[in-house]
Amino acid sequence: MKRHIIYSIALMLGILPLTGRAQQYTGISGLIHVPSAEMHHEGDANIGIHYLNKEMLPDIGFTYNNEKYNTYDYYLSITPYSWIELSYICTKRMDLVNGEPKYRRKDRNASIKIRPLKEGKYWPAVAIGCNDVGSSVASLITSSNNNVQLYFQNYYAAATKHFDLGGNILGVTLAYRYYTRDYNDKWNGLVGGITFRPSFFPQARAIAEWTGNEFQLGIDALLFQHVFIQASLKDFKYPNVGLSFQMNLLGKRYKY
Amino acid sequence: MYICNRNYNMTLMQKRTTRHKTAPLLALMLGLVLVCPTQRMKAQEHKMSFDIFSGLNFGFRDISYDRQYDLYIALTPGFKWHFGDHWQVAGQMIVDIVDQFDNPYYNPYYNRQRNIFHFRMLDISKELRLGMLYAKASAGFFTESRYGVDLKLFLPLTSWFALEAQGGLTGLFSTSGGWGFSPMQRFAGTIGGDIYLSRSNTQLRGVIGSYLYRDLGFEVEAIRHFRHSSVSLYANWNNKDDFDGGFRVVVALPPYHRKQRMVNVRPAATFNMPYSIMMHEWTNRMYHTDPEENMRDGWFSRDLLEWGSHTMQPDFIITPKE
Repeated sequence: MKRHIIYSIALMLGILPLTGRAQQYTGISGLIHVPSAEMHHEGDANIGIHYLNKEMLPDIGFTYNNEKYNTYDYYLSITPYSWIELSYICTKRMDLVNGEPKYRRKDRNASIKIRPLKEGKYWPAVAIGCNDVGSSVASLITSSNNNVQLYFQNYYAAATKHFDLGGNILGVTLAYRYYTRDYNDKWNGLVGGITFRPSFFPQARAIAEWTGNEFQLGIDALLFQHVFIQASLKDFKYPNVGLSFQMNLLGKRYKY
Repeated sequence: MYICNRNYNMTLMQKRTTRHKTAPLLALMLGLVLVCPTQRMKAQEHKMSFDIFSGLNFGFRDISYDRQYDLYIALTPGFKWHFGDHWQVAGQMIVDIVDQFDNPYYNPYYNRQRNIFHFRMLDISKELRLGMLYAKASAGFFTESRYGVDLKLFLPLTSWFALEAQGGLTGLFSTSGGWGFSPMQRFAGTIGGDIYLSRSNTQLRGVIGSYLYRDLGFEVEAIRHFRHSSVSLYANWNNKDDFDGGFRVVVALPPYHRKQRMVNVRPAATFNMPYSIMMHEWTNRMYHTDPEENMRDGWFSRDLLEWGSHTMQPDFIITPKE
């Protein structure tokens, strides 16, 4: 219990100086675990690393001695046009090496998000996407994909609308998500969340979301125009944290 | 991620190599005969200069069960001697710094005495314009351990559509344990088209060809050019290894403002990072005839061919130094 209180205090303290727009553990824009219809700016590229609590991971594929373990992933993502985002992600897996469990293996996957409808004054932005498309691509380009796993694969459609509340920006996201693997079906169905970007520090964002199975709180921020950080508590007790370097390849500068 | 290093494979290839000492000289002579009569030297539009540069090859792969990664780091020093009117002599070598790719699991020659210096290429090239057609002829030693002659053609039909072709007659050379050459008998070539959408600086490229290692195939690629970088997604197929795909990243390396002197010492023009899903090393491949050849700049000099990414603001603002 004491540990949870410490995490919560750290999170609340972090809200003041922090926030962005990323479902950061994949490098694709979104909330924390929940996808949204927000997009990075055209030309944005991210390279980052994210600590993943075992509660963020599938129940299969990330176990050792029948117990799930914490791990981390790293990614490279890019927004070549304002309507599409692509990401390549490696998630480390544990294996026994000389009698010692070590992070020697990894799951490679790719994500894509497309936004067919841009947010307007009266309508929300709408995006569709897929995480872990690697197996889909592999099945298209080769017949020998028997070893390809689908640990993270899911498809989704999301809508996001922002409201200006006296300079503060409130974002509301609603999404429908479908995981293709049974062991992830707890995150299937309607998911969503809200974000709050304060007027006095618009680079920061506070997030609350429903993943389909539990609530999650988080904060993220773009600092010094290039350093993006995100911290979250899954189910109010399991921490996740990530750091990425962000730059715009078109040479444009954005505050957030 | 994996950036392939095929230097150590030269030793393996050497077994298939016969020795023809005069072959490279013949190749050079044939190349000069090919390109010399096409144009007489005109005014020095493309001024004489001598560039010395070096980049860094960085590769890591994750295919070994008991190692986190295998690392490969090497310097790539080279030179380019522009001696006017788009004539160029270029050379490059590889200097290994860290080479964990050369390990006992994947290379039976692990314990041999290795040379950390590898010859990569040395050739002479000439770019020229013949009406609407742009051509680049090269002769000498190319990458992929090939020597011979090569011709590249580019025909811009409109501001957004162009045809391209490359063909070369080459043989294999090896520097492991002395120079060795196979006969210059292998033809490899590609032909295809390019579409350039200037509004979004997007290039779509498709080629079919008979590739270097005798595979037939095709490749399609979508390239997005940014201010100082380009990112592409590609997919290819060949009759030996089936489909593959991946992405490529090219970043122009600073400084972007440079002084042009007679002799210039500079970093390599670009950093290149290819990624392949299936890691097919020996298919859909062609050699390079320029040490800094990349998908961003294409085959031709910017001051000769104004098409595609060459219509964007240049990466390097070069001011002559008197």
